[in-house]
Amino acid sequence: MAVNGTNGLMDPAPERAKRGAFFFPMMFVGIIVAAWCLARFMWAGTSVPKGADFGVGAGLTIIMILSLGPMLGARGKLSRGQDAGALGNLTVLLLAGVLMIAGIISTWGAVPIGSAYGGIYDVTSGWIGLYFVGGVLALLASLMKGKRVPARFSGERWVAHNVLSFWGELVLLWTMFFIVFYLA
Amino acid sequence: MATTDVQGRAVAGTGGGAPFTWSMVLPMVRAGLFGFTGYFGAAWITAMLAHTVIVNPLPATIGYLVGLLGWVMGSGIWDGWIRRAFGGEESPSLTGVERYFRFSSDPKATAVRYIFFNITAFLFAGLAAMAIRIELLTPDSTGWWLSEVHYNQTFGIHGLMMLLAVAASAIVGGMGYYLLPMMLGARTVIFPRLLGLSWWLLPPAAVAVFMSPLIGGFQTGWWGYPPLAQNSGAGIVFYTLGAATLLTSSVLGGINIIGTIVYMRAKGMSLGRIPMFVWGLFAAGTILIVEAPATFTGTLMDLSDMILGSHFYTGPTGHPLAYDDQFWWLFHPEVYVFVLPAFALWLEILPTAAQRPVFARNWGIAGILGITMIGAMVGVHHYFTAVSAERMPIFMTITETISIPSGFVFLSALGTLWGARLKLSSPALLCLMAMMNFLIGGLTGIFNADVPADLQLHNTYWVIGHFHYTILGSVIFSWLAGLYWWFPKATGRMVNEFWAKFHAWWFFIFFNMTFLPMFVLGIEGMNRRIAVYLPYLHPLNEFVSISSFFLGAGFLIPLANLLISWRSGKKAPQNPWGSKSLEWHSPSPTPYIVFPEGSDVTVVGPNDNYAAGAPEPFVWAPTTAGK
Ligand code: HEM
Ligand SMILES: [Cu+2]
Repeated sequence: MAVNGTNGLMDPAPERAKRGAFFFPMMFVGIIVAAWCLARFMWAGTSVPKGADFGVGAGLTIIMILSLGPMLGARGKLSRGQDAGALGNLTVLLLAGVLMIAGIISTWGAVPIGSAYGGIYDVTSGWIGLYFVGGVLALLASLMKGKRVPARFSGERWVAHNVLSFWGELVLLWTMFFIVFYLA
Repeated sequence: MATTDVQGRAVAGTGGGAPFTWSMVLPMVRAGLFGFTGYFGAAWITAMLAHTVIVNPLPATIGYLVGLLGWVMGSGIWDGWIRRAFGGEESPSLTGVERYFRFSSDPKATAVRYIFFNITAFLFAGLAAMAIRIELLTPDSTGWWLSEVHYNQTFGIHGLMMLLAVAASAIVGGMGYYLLPMMLGARTVIFPRLLGLSWWLLPPAAVAVFMSPLIGGFQTGWWGYPPLAQNSGAGIVFYTLGAATLLTSSVLGGINIIGTIVYMRAKGMSLGRIPMFVWGLFAAGTILIVEAPATFTGTLMDLSDMILGSHFYTGPTGHPLAYDDQFWWLFHPEVYVFVLPAFALWLEILPTAAQRPVFARNWGIAGILGITMIGAMVGVHHYFTAVSAERMPIFMTITETISIPSGFVFLSALGTLWGARLKLSSPALLCLMAMMNFLIGGLTGIFNADVPADLQLHNTYWVIGHFHYTILGSVIFSWLAGLYWWFPKATGRMVNEFWAKFHAWWFFIFFNMTFLPMFVLGIEGMNRRIAVYLPYLHPLNEFVSISSFFLGAGFLIPLANLLISWRSGKKAPQNPWGSKSLEWHSPSPTPYIVFPEGSDVTVVGPNDNYAAGAPEPFVWAPTTAGK
């Protein structure tokens, strides 16, 4: 039997809870990348091989750091209730995400996967790439929801909020990745 | 026990819904269809493009991933979640029987599906165990039964499935996800859809592992150690992918456990008032979130060595031992994911059966948390034979300190029973048996952790004895106890008490007859994981095998008991065990909406408030506006 209108009762967690509890999945996905960053030293010492695509890596890092602007902007707008305005920022982040995916793929050929550095580089960056795929899909979902059913978007603002938190985590993770794989 | 206002009140919008019709099963069939088509389609196309055959690692991997996606998409996740998330049409929440056969955000439906999955996996993995014991009836490897290669595949499948498809989710999934919100006074978990998804990851993973012999099987046992992994059959890709999927599922549950406990407790439920069982779940959830990443990455890197050409564990730059570190990083703590909820379940059932508060409640909680913390640091005790001498005393010492918090939990349980007049229902009996078995399991663990002893005992039947006492003897006994205890909650009927007790004794006797001799076998020098053994071990092995056939056949009793009681068992009273716990405040079988709208609960004491004259721990009052 189908019943409408039990959603409030059946999913009563307040905004604060939905945002706060999102910390736990973020922790899990963060530990994975942190573990791999540590593993880089175990498998490939500290030297960065000649072929590594430093230019692209640095470029992607700059994109990520710059993306903090629209991300923080969107968070601010959401908390002030300017949901329509936040959608523009989400679009910018979406484009940045697509760029990141393309950029990551473009670095893969640089060092062969069979070498110690290449193996750990490819696995870690590939995994982060998957996060970006997830992030892009999540941004797209929020955008489409915001355009198609603005009332629902505002009713469950925590979703967009968590998507932005995830983006913030991506900035952190990517920067850590860059430092560990290109600078250390 | 007085009934509360809430117990008597009818709940709107929950009345059973339409009766079951076969068309309700369609989403499950669709999921299977999408899954198989996805698997074969993708594997076949990959094989064509890579000029190889579909049983090779790469096509099998791609096939698995596409098949998994197909299965999940077929489950009803599109209308249940995705369409809505992208701003599409909202679908009504399904409150009738149909939610059991499709993607659903109702944690109760998810939990019930967990129970069906765990029982099915238990039966199949149990058949594998019987196959192992048939092989071991004779010292040589027989011509008419499994070949040595098939024997290896069989124990690998048995081990992996019993651990990850049964023990990991039997109590946490089937009971935990059902009770967690109710015990906390919440109407659902924090991320209900994520929890719904967690179940749908299980069946494809289990099917892949069980089917792995079709693409060459794997010979490594449930460890998946390289370099053997890379050299012993393409079926290992189903091992790595299956394990990674099952871990993901566990983590999705763990996230819900922790999030719900932190953010959704009823008013007044301070840390000291959280039910013991919920503390057990808390331990499991924490372990999974913090420690699963190491092992999860290990399985993926193992896979990458096979299909992408990296050399993490093999070849000139590989470190095979790094895999052991990663693998045991979670898989030692994982045993506490199995057993801490079982401990906690004793501390839920025994106080009620004895109508007494938990003895030294806070010490019990400290014990559970202490085991969680120390247990995070001891994985190395599983491969003392492979590490440098410096690591031995360190990990020996840390491991042995786990006895201290374990002692707290045991003393809590024993103190509760001391001098009590226990009402020995089948669940209470099973808990006592589980405690007996765990005593042996835990004490033999101390020998394992002792390096000089372990260098002799490692990889012998002694270890097999040890972990069957802890897992089959404790976790599965407790699982049955929990199933019988909360059966009236979920179905509104009682299990047949005579057959429940009859089987408890059957299980206890044949369990001990099967596994106690294994300690002797191990000391006498019988290796694990080898299809042949020396003739002087023959008589004892025959005894073990025959006992195990009785043990295995005995599981038909609870199976029949649960099924028959479900159809036609005695109607259960509102609160059959006289429990004060919050889950019994809602009617049985639990309606879709656990607690009716308009009332909220305030917690004034722990749910084991059985002392004479103690107040009822949960007080209901009309919801105050604007809270
Ligand atoms: C009471 C404390 C415990 C101690 C000190 C302990 C210690 C050990 C040690 C040292 C080993 C490795 C033996 C070897 O391979 O040589 C071992 C194996 C094992 N233990 Fe325990 N254990 C304890 C409790 C448990 C519990 C509660 C469980 C599960 C619920 C468990 C499950 C296992 C499993 C599955 C293995 C074998 C893994 C394998 O080799 O395939 N143990 N234990
Ligand atoms: Cu261990």
